[in-house]
Amino acid sequence: MNATIFNIERFAIHDGPGIRTTVFFKGCPLRCPWCANPESQKAARQLQHQSNKCSTCQSCVRNCPNGAILCKEGRIAINREACKKCEVCVKVCPNGALSIVGQEQSIEEIYEVLIRDKDYYEASGGGITLSGGEVMLQWKVAKELLRKVKAEGIHTAVETCGDVPIEAFEELTGYVDLFLFDIKHMDAEKLRNVTGGSLERILQNLSYLTKQKEHQMIIRVPVIPEFNDDAAVMTQIFELAQRFGIPEVHLLPYHTLGIHKYEQLGMTYQMKEQGMTKEELQPYVRMGEQMGLSVGIGG
Amino acid sequence: MVKFDVNGIQNVEVSKKIPCEKPLLWQLELMERYTETHRKFSSCSKERREAECLKVLFPALLREIEETDLFAGRLDFLPIGFGAVTSVGGVGHYCVFAKLRAFEKEIGEAYHDRVEALYQYWLSHDLKTRYCKEVLTETTIGRFIDVEYPLIATARLSGMMLDYRKLLDLGIAGLRALLQEQSSQEPDNEFIRSCFMCLDIYKESACYLAEMAYRQRNQLDVTNTKRYQELTDMAEALEKISSNKPETFLEALQALWLYALLAGCINYGRLDELLGSYLARDLDSGRMTEEQAYAYVKSLWTMVENRRTTVNGRIIVGGKGRKNPEDADRFLHIAMKVAKDCRYVEPQFTLRVDENTSEEIWDEALEALGAGATYPTIYNDEVNVPAVAYGMRVDEETASRYVPFGCTEFVLWGQSTGTPNVCINLLKLLTIYMNRGVDPMDGQYKLGPIQPKQFEEMTSFEEFYDGYRELLDYYMDLSIDAQYRSYEIMDQHVGFLFNSILMDDCIARRKPLLDGGVRYLGGTCETYGNINTSDSLYVIKKLVFEEKSVSLPELIKATISNFEGYELLRKKCIALEKYGNDCKPVDDMANDLYEFVAKGIRERGILKGMQYYLIVISNNSLNSEWGMRTGASPDGRLAGMFMNPANNPQGGADRSGPTAMLNSLSRFDAKYHGGSVQNIKFSTSMFRDNKLLMKTLFKTYFKKGGCHLMVTVVDSGALEDAMEHPENYPNLIVRVAGYSAVFVDLADCVKQELLSRTLYDEGKCRV
Repeated sequence: MNATIFNIERFAIHDGPGIRTTVFFKGCPLRCPWCANPESQKAARQLQHQSNKCSTCQSCVRNCPNGAILCKEGRIAINREACKKCEVCVKVCPNGALSIVGQEQSIEEIYEVLIRDKDYYEASGGGITLSGGEVMLQWKVAKELLRKVKAEGIHTAVETCGDVPIEAFEELTGYVDLFLFDIKHMDAEKLRNVTGGSLERILQNLSYLTKQKEHQMIIRVPVIPEFNDDAAVMTQIFELAQRFGIPEVHLLPYHTLGIHKYEQLGMTYQMKEQGMTKEELQPYVRMGEQMGLSVGIGG
Repeated sequence: MVKFDVNGIQNVEVSKKIPCEKPLLWQLELMERYTETHRKFSSCSKERREAECLKVLFPALLREIEETDLFAGRLDFLPIGFGAVTSVGGVGHYCVFAKLRAFEKEIGEAYHDRVEALYQYWLSHDLKTRYCKEVLTETTIGRFIDVEYPLIATARLSGMMLDYRKLLDLGIAGLRALLQEQSSQEPDNEFIRSCFMCLDIYKESACYLAEMAYRQRNQLDVTNTKRYQELTDMAEALEKISSNKPETFLEALQALWLYALLAGCINYGRLDELLGSYLARDLDSGRMTEEQAYAYVKSLWTMVENRRTTVNGRIIVGGKGRKNPEDADRFLHIAMKVAKDCRYVEPQFTLRVDENTSEEIWDEALEALGAGATYPTIYNDEVNVPAVAYGMRVDEETASRYVPFGCTEFVLWGQSTGTPNVCINLLKLLTIYMNRGVDPMDGQYKLGPIQPKQFEEMTSFEEFYDGYRELLDYYMDLSIDAQYRSYEIMDQHVGFLFNSILMDDCIARRKPLLDGGVRYLGGTCETYGNINTSDSLYVIKKLVFEEKSVSLPELIKATISNFEGYELLRKKCIALEKYGNDCKPVDDMANDLYEFVAKGIRERGILKGMQYYLIVISNNSLNSEWGMRTGASPDGRLAGMFMNPANNPQGGADRSGPTAMLNSLSRFDAKYHGGSVQNIKFSTSMFRDNKLLMKTLFKTYFKKGGCHLMVTVVDSGALEDAMEHPENYPNLIVRVAGYSAVFVDLADCVKQELLSRTLYDEGKCRV
């Protein structure tokens, strides 16, 4: 069985406790405009072009069997409908400016990487995290992977947006030690309009998970200007945590580290280009703490 | 005889030396007197001549005590004199010709004839020149540091770590008694006789400095009671140690320092072990406060820094084999604080850790590293002690005496020599091999009698690799001979008397160091380009013999043409897995090459009758300089580009994070080398925000077999900005490899190499 992933990050220290290795699965049901990993959204493989490495030699233009690459006004332009991801251009580019995002990897291949840092996980109270994109869209393969990792006694975490059929969670509980569960907003309409997500389904899944006792839960909130960077919204989220008996909330300050990837994928970034500092979130931390929650900034 | 440039640069010198404080004419006269003495005693024993020459230098070359000094002993160096190492002065009876020429320019035309006379005399008497004349060849062995050659060799006595405990326990009187004992058994022994003269020089120097301290004290403004007391303490300590053994911390520090100065030693050893009990006694008895102790140690840091040896100045604390660890740790804690506060490039503050190292010590170390001190550099005793026991063929108790000097070479303090007098560039040899013996950089044939096989007929990687190993064997033979010969030639001319007195078993055997005196005659051979070479071998194995996507002649043609017209092939070479990513087949290749060279060198040392001769993967900035004269390589590295530092990956080739890199690094079995340095670089925010994880990372790496780690913590983007605006970064310290330096003082090629290294920063793949 294969998984479609776009990265494995070792020494990941923001996706759960301790030193971890995080597997990023490709494909996501949401379309958050602030997404720092735009390559994670589509399930299919994608061609990526880094213009800073490109010398416009046009080898790709000449060699593309589908005529999907053009040179317009001295710049490489990709017709993404026509691109068949055959990788001919990737091979002929002398500068390494073209690459394919997303690869199919077997459970064994991924496991083989995960197991290498076992000593570091054990010493630091860390483990592995499955993230994305949305790992739950590939729950079957995730389940097999988690089963294998857990058998080694390694701590497992799953990071999820929660907007997937409940079956996925039903299948995975028992193999996961920690869910990092995203809550982005408590207004269903706003959430749907901005991200395309269904609050109803998210809360349903959250409710299901909190009833299971095998795992720990942490709510994660990406704090986004002009979306949820607002005391009222935060209060609602903290109340939700209280209601479900989830003691820990992590606030993730908005950042722009992924901006350059939008251009590489032929996408447009629509958010503002100024990130937030940790200090800006301190008032929310105090708010949450007053409500009896443990609130952290970052992973 | 081979031609070589006697005026060439002979060592890495990044830190600028403090100029001599004496008038030029005084300097000239002293050099003349030295030369005359050398000539006059040429028919006497080498020991007598050495002692007579030392009498010319000391105490004359001692400098004025500086206002901030809390103990005494600063020294000037002239272009002619006596020494042990190239970083301060020179080796044996030396003349540094380039510096003599510079002196000539400074003193002016009127003295030309007198300087020229010195120059001509030393052309045939400078010890290193004698060595070079005999050992260097036209195309295979070059002088230090001539980067045209695949192997460079020199005569020097680097890294002596003396048994100062003997000096502290016995004092000058006690040492004299030891000599007396031997003298009564063999009254005519020239070595013992000359050692007496050395002790006289020590006494005279101590008295000279005591007088200087009294003089400075008497010139003080009456209101300056603090300095009055400091100078009184200093003078009294000097008077005390001029004949007797030290009893206080200050006296012990003073005794040790003065001796190191006179012996020409620039590494100081396990000072926690040596000074800890004096410190504890003074603190407990109320003779000294914590603040005073801090001030003394800080003064020591300043004195070491001011000697500016660039790659030495080792002060070592912690680890196995300390007799009184509790007292030693009291010194350690103060030293840790001083290292953090000072952030000097020297001393090279070195922490040995083992399973008993406390959390407090670990936390202090991380604190200092996080402050950007680049110190302490950390050695893992759990790995190194057994490794040294095997490598140097001694028991574990003896092995626990190991101390790293210079760029990391191990030596047994008080018992062995370990000077690295030969360096080999493995990558240059590979490029020469691939070009059928001719160095692509200058068209010279550099394989001596070896004729490489025809590549066209090769059908397996092993065949190719065998051919390379054949010439490595040839060069390893050259290496052991050049190293051994350096000892013989040094021994012919000098006794290194001050060194010999505090080294087992010179006095007992009544023999100077290199004449059978030292208990363990060891040595080290530096290897360069290790990882570029193994990565290149892997590329050849994979692309040519496994995938068969390119033929061997074509790949060779591509590298010889510096990949011009072969850009796609180069991309393929670079894209292939590289060492440093925890990728087993690549790491195995690196390990195979490492073991071949390390074992080859070690066996040759044993066969030659040495206690040990081990490779060190130490690296100063020679990886960058030698890279400039090394052809393109199959790992995708272009001609003239820096080579990888020590056994770290080529800059930027490690793309899988710190755990993966450390897993690769910990694969080499430490028992075959005599020191190997491992660099890692973190952004300040990453390091400071995650100290607990960093500690776990380092400790786990050590548990997995890592032998050493040195950590640079630097703001993300700071090095890049310092390239553009050096004026804003006068104090930005970086760990180059076996030494630290102020970044903006480094040569451009070294800066580029440092920039290329992966900076571990906050993860980028975060939603």
